[in-house]
Amino acid sequence: MKTSYSKEKVSLVNELIYEIKIKETMTKKFIFFGKNATFREIQLKLKEKKISGVPILDTHKNIIGIISTDDVITAFDKNYINENIENYMTQEVITVPQNFSIISAIQKFEKYEVGRLPVTEFLHSKTIVGIITLSDILNKLLQVTQSIAGKIENEELKNTEISADFIKNTPKKFFRFEGSGDDFNCAGKVASITKKYFKGLGIDRDIVRRIAIICYEAEMNICIHSIGGIITIEVDDENNAIVCAHDKGPGIPDIDLALTPGYTTASEKVRALGFGAGMGLPNIKNFADKFEIRSSLKSGTHLKAIINLGVKNENK
Amino acid sequence: MKISEIIEKCQLKKVVFTADHEVNNGYTGDLMSDVMANAQPESIWITIQAHKNSIAVALIKDIKSIIFTNNVSIHQEIIEKAKEEKINLFRTRKDSFTVSGEIYSMLEAETEKN
Repeated sequence: MKTSYSKEKVSLVNELIYEIKIKETMTKKFIFFGKNATFREIQLKLKEKKISGVPILDTHKNIIGIISTDDVITAFDKNYINENIENYMTQEVITVPQNFSIISAIQKFEKYEVGRLPVTEFLHSKTIVGIITLSDILNKLLQVTQSIAGKIENEELKNTEISADFIKNTPKKFFRFEGSGDDFNCAGKVASITKKYFKGLGIDRDIVRRIAIICYEAEMNICIHSIGGIITIEVDDENNAIVCAHDKGPGIPDIDLALTPGYTTASEKVRALGFGAGMGLPNIKNFADKFEIRSSLKSGTHLKAIINLGVKNENK
Repeated sequence: MKISEIIEKCQLKKVVFTADHEVNNGYTGDLMSDVMANAQPESIWITIQAHKNSIAVALIKDIKSIIFTNNVSIHQEIIEKAKEEKINLFRTRKDSFTVSGEIYSMLEAETEKN
């Protein structure tokens, strides 16, 4: 089989054929015969499996010869098709070691004009561990380039900075949610709607998650600690998502204390559900790029968390 | 490692099973804020908190499977919500420590193999 290779420079493939090992490309389950086989048996197998040659191995899987379609045709021609192959087979077999790069297989395909090569365990070994063909190599290259392309695509998605224009062109959405105290059933709604919205805009998934966590904690705070309040989410002109939570009271007497991880005033009932661990406000503060809170016993608590949509926050 | 493999090896009972998926990380915890702050996204989550808010937390963290330990009872409402949001729910008699240990060693063995 004569195959011509394009001399055009395809740098990725050029690199890969030196990198990828024959071991990871070859077919490990291959067909072989012993020296007692007849040309007829081999001819039937070649036809059945649509292959162009088989290696002849001894009982220790050492290679002793090879029979190709050409040999079978000659056997037909010279009328010894029903005879044993042993005296006719090619004994000097070209092989390639499994720890070599696929470039060595390609070079041998070209040099010896063959389409398949038995693969040996290591250099100078006679033990056959697989067969490599041109189509094995092409499939492997396709598979590797596809996975590289997939990775690049993911990287690009991650690094996309949302441009100001993009945000400007999306309809400015302003969410407003009302929550009443002690209403656990709708808690999570703000976070889930907000998450879907920002995900739909194509914002980085980590950033979307941080916004969702902030919304969720703010919602839970309104449920657990207040007599009701509202949460609003908007996007400003500088690509920031702004989450505001305002409640009607009763207000936080000591904000510093409330921001201390682990400090809580939640009831036993709430804590049994896995809330009120004293982590809500610290979480909001940690996951936001900017965080403001003011509270008075008269007007309730006002919380504002700002999350930049374009730049990934590395610390989080 | 596939979640289906974990279910089989840990003998977890399927409460809701919507789709098989790959598991690379896990997190064990019963405090919502802790899970939200510290679980790796797309982890498998081991907890005794079987209520609607567990589903909300899973959604936020892109958690696709929750394992409820200590044989806690799971309300029909949660099952419906999980089906709707395509989150797998499993139950076991074992406690969180035991299940976490089992899954941890499986994931470790998997990493070594690779």
